[in-house]
Amino acid sequence: MSYAYLFKYIIIGDTGVGKSCLLLQFTDKRFQPVHDLTIGVEFGARMITIDSKQIKLQIWDTAGQEAFRSITRSYYRGAAGALLVYDITRRETFNHLTTWLDDARQHSNSNMVIMLIGNKSDLESRREVKKEEGEAFAREHGLVFMETSAKTAANVEEAFINTAKEIYEKIQEGVFDINNEANGIKIGPQHSPTNPSLPGATGSSGSQGGGCC
Amino acid sequence: MSRMFRSRSWFGGGWGRPKNPHSLEHLKYLYNVLSRNQTVSEHNRGLLVETLRSIAEILIWGDQNDSSVFDFFLEKNMLSFFLRIMRQRSGGSSFVCVQLLQTLNILFENIRNETSLYYLLSNNHVNSIIVHKFDFSDEEVMAYYISFLKTLSLKLNAHTIHFFYNEHTNDFPLYTEAIKFFNHPESMVRIAVRTLTLNVYKVEDASMLAFIRDRTAAPYFSNIVWFIGKHIQELDNCVRNDADHQSQNRLSDLVAEHLDHLHYLNDILCLNITDLNQVLTDHLLHKLLIPLYIFSLSKRITPLNDAASTNLHRLIQNRALSLDCTSSPHHENTINVAKVSCVVALFLLSQVFLILSHGPLVETLAWIILKTDRVNYEQRVDKLLERYNTEMKVQKQKIEESTSESSAQCNSEEPVNDSIMEERKNITDEEKQRLATSPAETSPFVEKPFLETILNSLDCTDNDYTSLFSLCLFYAVANNKGITSDVIDQILKPKKSFVCKSSNNKDVKYSYNVSLVDKILHIIMLACQPTCRVRLVTLDLALKLLIQLVICDGRSILLESHKLTIEAAKSQSTALLRNFYKSEEIFLDMFEHEYYDMQKVLLNVERLCMDSAILLPPTGTPMTGIDFTKRLPCGEVERARRAIRVFFLVRDSVLTLNGDVETQLPLTNPRSCVQIDQALDLSISRYNSDLIGCTVIYKDGTKMRRFLVIDILQLILVEPDTKRLGWGVAKLVGFLQDIEVSGDKDDSRCLHITIHRPLSGTTTNRIPLLSAKFVFDDNIRCMAAKQRLTKGRIKARQKKMQHIARLLEIPGQSGPPSPAFIGSSSGGYTSRQMGRNRERSLFNRCPGIAAPKRENSPGIAHRSDVEARINRNSTESPNNLSKLRNEASQISKKEVRSRDSSTSNKTKSGDSSPRMPRPRSEEIPLELIKKASTSVIDMAPKISVLSRTQTPKMEQDQSLAESSGASKDTEKGVSLISSVSEETSFIAEESEQEKGLSFIETV
Ligand SMILES: Nc1nc2c(ncn2[C@@H]2O[C@H](COP(=O)(O)OP(=O)(O)O)[C@@H](O)[C@H]2O)c(=O)[nH]1
Ligand SMILES: [Mg+2]
Repeated sequence: MSYAYLFKYIIIGDTGVGKSCLLLQFTDKRFQPVHDLTIGVEFGARMITIDSKQIKLQIWDTAGQEAFRSITRSYYRGAAGALLVYDITRRETFNHLTTWLDDARQHSNSNMVIMLIGNKSDLESRREVKKEEGEAFAREHGLVFMETSAKTAANVEEAFINTAKEIYEKIQEGVFDINNEANGIKIGPQHSPTNPSLPGATGSSGSQGGGCC
Repeated sequence: MSRMFRSRSWFGGGWGRPKNPHSLEHLKYLYNVLSRNQTVSEHNRGLLVETLRSIAEILIWGDQNDSSVFDFFLEKNMLSFFLRIMRQRSGGSSFVCVQLLQTLNILFENIRNETSLYYLLSNNHVNSIIVHKFDFSDEEVMAYYISFLKTLSLKLNAHTIHFFYNEHTNDFPLYTEAIKFFNHPESMVRIAVRTLTLNVYKVEDASMLAFIRDRTAAPYFSNIVWFIGKHIQELDNCVRNDADHQSQNRLSDLVAEHLDHLHYLNDILCLNITDLNQVLTDHLLHKLLIPLYIFSLSKRITPLNDAASTNLHRLIQNRALSLDCTSSPHHENTINVAKVSCVVALFLLSQVFLILSHGPLVETLAWIILKTDRVNYEQRVDKLLERYNTEMKVQKQKIEESTSESSAQCNSEEPVNDSIMEERKNITDEEKQRLATSPAETSPFVEKPFLETILNSLDCTDNDYTSLFSLCLFYAVANNKGITSDVIDQILKPKKSFVCKSSNNKDVKYSYNVSLVDKILHIIMLACQPTCRVRLVTLDLALKLLIQLVICDGRSILLESHKLTIEAAKSQSTALLRNFYKSEEIFLDMFEHEYYDMQKVLLNVERLCMDSAILLPPTGTPMTGIDFTKRLPCGEVERARRAIRVFFLVRDSVLTLNGDVETQLPLTNPRSCVQIDQALDLSISRYNSDLIGCTVIYKDGTKMRRFLVIDILQLILVEPDTKRLGWGVAKLVGFLQDIEVSGDKDDSRCLHITIHRPLSGTTTNRIPLLSAKFVFDDNIRCMAAKQRLTKGRIKARQKKMQHIARLLEIPGQSGPPSPAFIGSSSGGYTSRQMGRNRERSLFNRCPGIAAPKRENSPGIAHRSDVEARINRNSTESPNNLSKLRNEASQISKKEVRSRDSSTSNKTKSGDSSPRMPRPRSEEIPLELIKKASTSVIDMAPKISVLSRTQTPKMEQDQSLAESSGASKDTEKGVSLISSVSEETSFIAEESEQEKGLSFIETV
């Protein structure tokens, strides 16, 4: 279970854009879209590998707490990465991006990596926001952009992992103060904790899911 | 539904397992698996985890599709398996626990049916899971556990609360277990705890809230308060030990953390739960805000700690608040031992007043800060509060009395002893001054030690380190929404009162805090000095506060003497900027850049007080990364930038105080600019003279046929309108001042034009607006375009420079004050005018200001400009009159020119290419073009603006070249010509319409 770094992410955006679904899709693939049920969750962790280093991602959904200012601002401050999600089938969720971004910029530390995500790309027929618009917004505000589908899992891995890569690069460049845990980055324990009974180092991602039995 | 049945099976069939994973049968099968694997071992662990996960999935499916699923789940008491598994420490391990918790999370988050939720909660298993002692040293277990609790808290409402809070056993594990982690080292855990507590308080359930208040509030709140106290002492240490800005990161974290605390407290208080708020307010006042924050403002050395806190307890007991003090932490006394530095106290108090708005809390605090007198001050916290309470009682009675006799609108005021009442009209200034300084009036401040400290901190003779915080605090108190009583009247708010002179004669009396305004004006005056140590942000805030203090009923009630002071500050700031006024391009760019920058980021005190950088002593070095407005300028450029900003700030405030609106800034009036897609009548003289056809080739190879129009401030690319003859549509507009033009070494018909984005843009995008190759019909047209662009750029900039000169009241306010032009323009004037020029130049202080030219073009001077100036000029120095006269004659001269140009247009239009009047400007005398070198692009505004004469062009050119004795005569000649054509082209319409001056025909 040991890791080189732990990155804390937050996931933000209007209700219903698919934050919880994206989170679960990434952290637990076994909930893949086998049926009409799209299940979500508001917290998850998963181990990934970048540059042959084990990196643990912890993703915190801030949904349902918008009413409390203290909560939102603390969440922002404690994160190294943020996924800012809108729904490509609902223009208003795209229109609200600036508000989200302003909030994020105001409260987060300046190094926080923000990934813009246009979700529900599987619903092409109901699309209201062009991909180019998302790209333009991202370019203008210096964000990384990707269209995803929590339903088909398209680009979900990439979205989370690319964000991690960018954080990782910033660490390599010495931009992030990694000794300051307030930034949402933690250095892993020197040696792995005594957990000898555990196979693999996959945390909750439970790679042995599916037809293991 | 049918889709669900098509879904692929994860279990690969076989083993007697039902094919459909979403069915009651499948749940029954899973139940059997669980029953057969009640002991967790290494072999069945994976199977168990997967079984639990599948159960969750079926339950969510059942929630929406088949109620029998939940019946079965409940009947078989399946949640108890969860418990049994997690309790088996040996085989369980964190891996299984994590999976279990996540499964529960998924279950609770995705269930939508109320009844399903009740099923899940019905047999108290969830509470057993909550109190289960997980291995919290495992980071992952901790994170999933706290998320689980948070998820549950989001499900709380008036109905579900009873599953978690047991009224009979007085048990509320969800809450009590969670708050154990309130100070957990992981920030995300702490945040989850805070979220949970707020979600709990939000539930309107009287008995639950009573439980919270009676059993948990005291320990929980006193813990929070204690940790905040500890926290700010850390912050204070950090400030004390970091004069050289070494630990900015740490400091910024500490400040952010303090803000988090305040916002959390505010979020609780905003839920408006009376009982809870009372307990919390008491804790905050008694243990933190008064003893630590406010008493740090005093210079008293004797620690008041122990006595104070003993008294506090007594007080609390007296008030029978049933606080459970015994169960609160054992650090009661330590908190009061130390005080923090005055700077930190002022800063933190500002934050308190900016964030908290709970009336009883902020009013008490404000009263104590503003009204505590020497006598009370010697006493302890409880006495202060007692005094406040009696004061409030007296006030209440008074109010009741006054409302009972409400028929009398006009209550004769009792004399106000801590302020000065002023009547605006009846007293002379001298009298006012005397009043303002009479000892009887000023003494109250002296006797109020806390207020005195804040007022003294306003002094920025040495530096403005503490002044900024005092201003912040005053501002924060004055603008706090929770302060509704008159605590701040007269001190931080203008006071309006009615005085009965006789039965039917009422007088409105306005008054304001004269001594505070004195101090603020002092800061403003200092900030306008060349070498001062007042930061821009301090000046900005001082002005902002000043306006609040003296504007009442929409107008300024400033005393005459104070008015004079602020006017003097304005003159001073103008003089300060005059020192930096230069003809160099950079000055104009800087001027506009600073203007737009200031418009973009208006002072926001709340944000200012979030910035830990201001906690460190003011510095001048940009290396610290501190925002320009929050530090002192470094180097000449920054001093110029500062002077520009000081000028804008003071100017704006003076306008506001005088009830005027800005008519001179920004330099570019957006309303007079051509917009993209605007249809233009190309036959009018403003546009048609400079129409040049060209092909624009973009970097990506796209080609477009366009007409180039060089307007006063703008370059416009026009596409002819196919529907309306003589009209065109603006396809691209850019400011001439932002263009760069260069020739093409291989093709003499080509120009490379770059238009940079205007600084006024909202985006930070610095990619040029346009960067393209322009191909003209021939070399001549290409040359003509180049000249016009170059010249247009220079002229656009000159106009703006002249405008700035006027703003800065630079005498003469003519062409650019560059020595290169002494006398150069005289060649272009008629003898009558020349005579006046010579005369005028005698008055000029700056050498080089000679050409008395003032262009009232739409892009620069706004409409009311002329009137405003006429008014102003009447009171100004003697040479202004002649100046004004001069201008008037200039304008009339333009009329003449425009007149003949428009006639010539008419004769020539109509016979030219694509449905457009033939552009006059293409007719450039060939000789002149040949004379011009191909590299005429001297961007420096060294070419003066010349008026047209009646002499033939070539002669004029010659005479200019001689008289100026400056650089290449070819350049001069070229510029002269384009200047002439430009003048004739677009000024006419403008001056006719806008000025309404009569036509003067002269020859
Ligand atoms: N078609 C489609 N639906 C999605 C996708 N992601 C989420 N949804 C649906 O959108 C709704 C809201 O999703 P949820 O994750 O709860 O949004 P949240 O409020 O942002 O957490 C649910 O009904 C999901 O089933 C997706 O990628 N494609
Ligand atoms: Mg959600």
